[in-house]
Amino acid sequence: MLATIASATLSGIDGVPVTVEVHVSNGLPAFTVVGLPDASCREARDRVRAALLSSEFTWPDRRTTVNLAPTSLRKIGSSLDLAIAIGVLVASEQLSAEVVAGRAFLAEMGLDGSLRHVPGALSLAAACTPPEVIVSPASYSEAVLVSGIEVRCATNLRELVDALKAEAPWPRPPDETFIAPPSDGPDLSDVRGHPMARFAIEVAAAGGHHLLMVGPPGSGKTMLADRLPSLLPDLDDATAFDATRVHSAAGARIIGGLVRRPPLRAPHHGMSAVAMVGGGTHRIRPGEISMAHGGVLFLDEMGEFGAVVLDSLRQPLEEGVIRIARAEARVELPARFLLVGAMNPCPCGEGVVPSACRCTDRSLERYRRRLSGPLLDRFDLRIDVHRADPRQLIGGEPAEASSVVAARVRLARASAQSRGVKCNAELSSSALETTSPLSTDAAKLIERCLESGRLSARGMRRVWRVARTIADLERYEGALTAEHVASALHLRSDPAFLARSVAS
Amino acid sequence: MSAQRLPEEAWVVALSSLPGLGPARLRSLLALGEPEMVWRSVLSGTLPNELSAGVSARIKPGLCGQWRTAARSIDPGAYWQAHVDAGIGVMTQWSASFPDVLAQDDDAPVVLFWLGDIDRLAGTRVAIVGTRRATRYGIDVANEFARELSLAGVAVVSGLALGIDGAAHAGALAVDGAPPIAVVGSGLDHIYPRAHRALWRAVAERGVVMSEYPLGASAVAWQFPARNRIIAALADVVVVVESQSTGGALGTAVEAARRGRTVLAVPGPITAPSSAGTNQLLFDGCGPVRDVGDVLLALGLQPERRRTATEQRPSPIGNAKKVLEALPWQAIPVEQIIDSTGLDLGVVMLALLQLETDGWVAQRSGWIERIARGGAQ
Repeated sequence: MLATIASATLSGIDGVPVTVEVHVSNGLPAFTVVGLPDASCREARDRVRAALLSSEFTWPDRRTTVNLAPTSLRKIGSSLDLAIAIGVLVASEQLSAEVVAGRAFLAEMGLDGSLRHVPGALSLAAACTPPEVIVSPASYSEAVLVSGIEVRCATNLRELVDALKAEAPWPRPPDETFIAPPSDGPDLSDVRGHPMARFAIEVAAAGGHHLLMVGPPGSGKTMLADRLPSLLPDLDDATAFDATRVHSAAGARIIGGLVRRPPLRAPHHGMSAVAMVGGGTHRIRPGEISMAHGGVLFLDEMGEFGAVVLDSLRQPLEEGVIRIARAEARVELPARFLLVGAMNPCPCGEGVVPSACRCTDRSLERYRRRLSGPLLDRFDLRIDVHRADPRQLIGGEPAEASSVVAARVRLARASAQSRGVKCNAELSSSALETTSPLSTDAAKLIERCLESGRLSARGMRRVWRVARTIADLERYEGALTAEHVASALHLRSDPAFLARSVAS
Repeated sequence: MSAQRLPEEAWVVALSSLPGLGPARLRSLLALGEPEMVWRSVLSGTLPNELSAGVSARIKPGLCGQWRTAARSIDPGAYWQAHVDAGIGVMTQWSASFPDVLAQDDDAPVVLFWLGDIDRLAGTRVAIVGTRRATRYGIDVANEFARELSLAGVAVVSGLALGIDGAAHAGALAVDGAPPIAVVGSGLDHIYPRAHRALWRAVAERGVVMSEYPLGASAVAWQFPARNRIIAALADVVVVVESQSTGGALGTAVEAARRGRTVLAVPGPITAPSSAGTNQLLFDGCGPVRDVGDVLLALGLQPERRRTATEQRPSPIGNAKKVLEALPWQAIPVEQIIDSTGLDLGVVMLALLQLETDGWVAQRSGWIERIARGGAQ
């Protein structure tokens, strides 16, 4: 007899609907899974058999064929376990076909018949076509985030079959254990001194401008970057949904609703390019740039990252998505993040102070080459972070708290949204010219910088956008003044370590 | 070209291009006999094991072999012709026209290559040397001294390196005075540092660029201290403008002192790493330099009473004035200016841009340096 059960599998972070067909017929006892299953999917056979027997069902000692359609797509992971188990029950006539119609099944099976969580439950539930989806209790909180479907859960196979047969009521979903939304971590008021760097991260947060901080060890670069997410507003619905799907697909547990607060990802510099952009041989996993979608990707000791790793950032920085192609699959992952880099000015670390550096020319030259020009160009904000004034470190007044700055950032972002973009960094050249005209003085200043070669045409647009953000933070509506442009110019100065060798 | 016609210098030039061959070894090699004969014995591998006594030039095992291999790939005739074609002057220590000041030196270069006119060595010479990682202050001082000395008819000797050296040459070239003299540590076709290509050409045109290395010799670290000894030997007075506590300029000072030349140092803030070396020289008894008159006095020249240069820069007004008043004479980051003036970032930046245009300050990698009256732009 034939059974057809709806389920889904994961490709990248997207769910793909899968129809599990189980056919039980006379013949030598055998169990085959066809339709491009991967290793963990083929293992389903042993898990399902044990689960059925532990739940006091009978295992059909006949020829059983499981087909996973569409057959051209490689099925990865254990999300089809439950669908296969239910399919076997229906095909061996232990369960009637009517009760499974209009329902999709998404769970991994334990040998004892229990239902287990699968990564990407959110995307999987969203992909299922039937109006009712059955998941494990652990996946419930993710699946209910999908609108327009009924989500049921059961702790084990026996309980599920009883509910399906309407012999028992559906088990109650687990209590949504209230967990306070993850706090934003450290507060900006901890940072004493650093007026310029504080201003720079405020501008970065308000305008979505990528930021590079160059400073000696212990000057507070990491401390500042850690506090950047606390300045960012909550993610909008679409971004939050995408971010949640990425986190869910990467195996993180989603508790208490969508990921609303901008994530902060700070990978170690030893990482590989695949870990950065995503990939993998069988299952394509999201990389750090997708995990940082909607939030901040902080690369500490940026000079220590591999050149390939850094340059792999260039395309996603432009497009906001990363397309990963492998022989067997091609996926597109969201990757719109705020890039924050921190690095020492030179190998000895003292290079921000003129003539204090002890590095040799050769080591400087090597260090300079670590960051490619095109990547460096994508930073709208490039600042030197100096060691803070000791008087301000000890006994200085507590600085502005994150909440105060975040309020200004929210208002500035609202101005950007009135121009039709999420933040000023996304303003196109034409939109920039129409929405943010330059005053005569400002235009003159920019002209002068272009003539002296201090700015390139592309650099000019970036400075212009930053000037727009600075004006937005001041709630200034008129044509951009020379002051705004001059501030923006300073925030995009050449990093000290690049400028140094042109001394004489 | 037939080998018999080659001048003696051609063989010395060929010998000087062998690897691991400094002036000391070259001199002891040439003590063995005629340059051509020495070249042939290098080629045939029949050099005696012991070279002249008193030189620590006992040839390392294997070096002879290296020389032989290198020598096989060199055609002395073609190599000589390359020097002639490039317009490079060549002169050996034994040449009658070898500069007196070098001929009398106990560690003189055996062979000298030059671009420009070697006769421009005549007259009084002052070396202006210092660190490559110079501050605005050092660059200004080097530039101004070079200009004033040049105007006073004193040739300025330096090494064409980044920082102080470059500023000194630029200063000497900025006025119509005594010719600039450069001694470099690489072959005359290897312009190092590349950034000084234009400066290098200008010095060769107006003065002379000298080297003791033949064409094709790249800039190797040991050649720079060796170059410094020639600078020290050429100079009547050595002025160290800025130097870290360890630096090539201190080497020049030691070489100069060894030769009995006057060494003067420009004082700097005791907190500045870029002046640690010069302040140490002052502590060790070198004379301080307050202005170019002190250098002229050390040369035994009467410093001309020069009227102080008139201020030609437009006086700053408004915020620019306020910012300039808040600037100390050392480089400071913009952050500190905002802190001390209480002005907004944009206002300060605009003021600084104005001051920069008018020649009051210079910006270097985010640091603001004040330019003294008559300082280098």
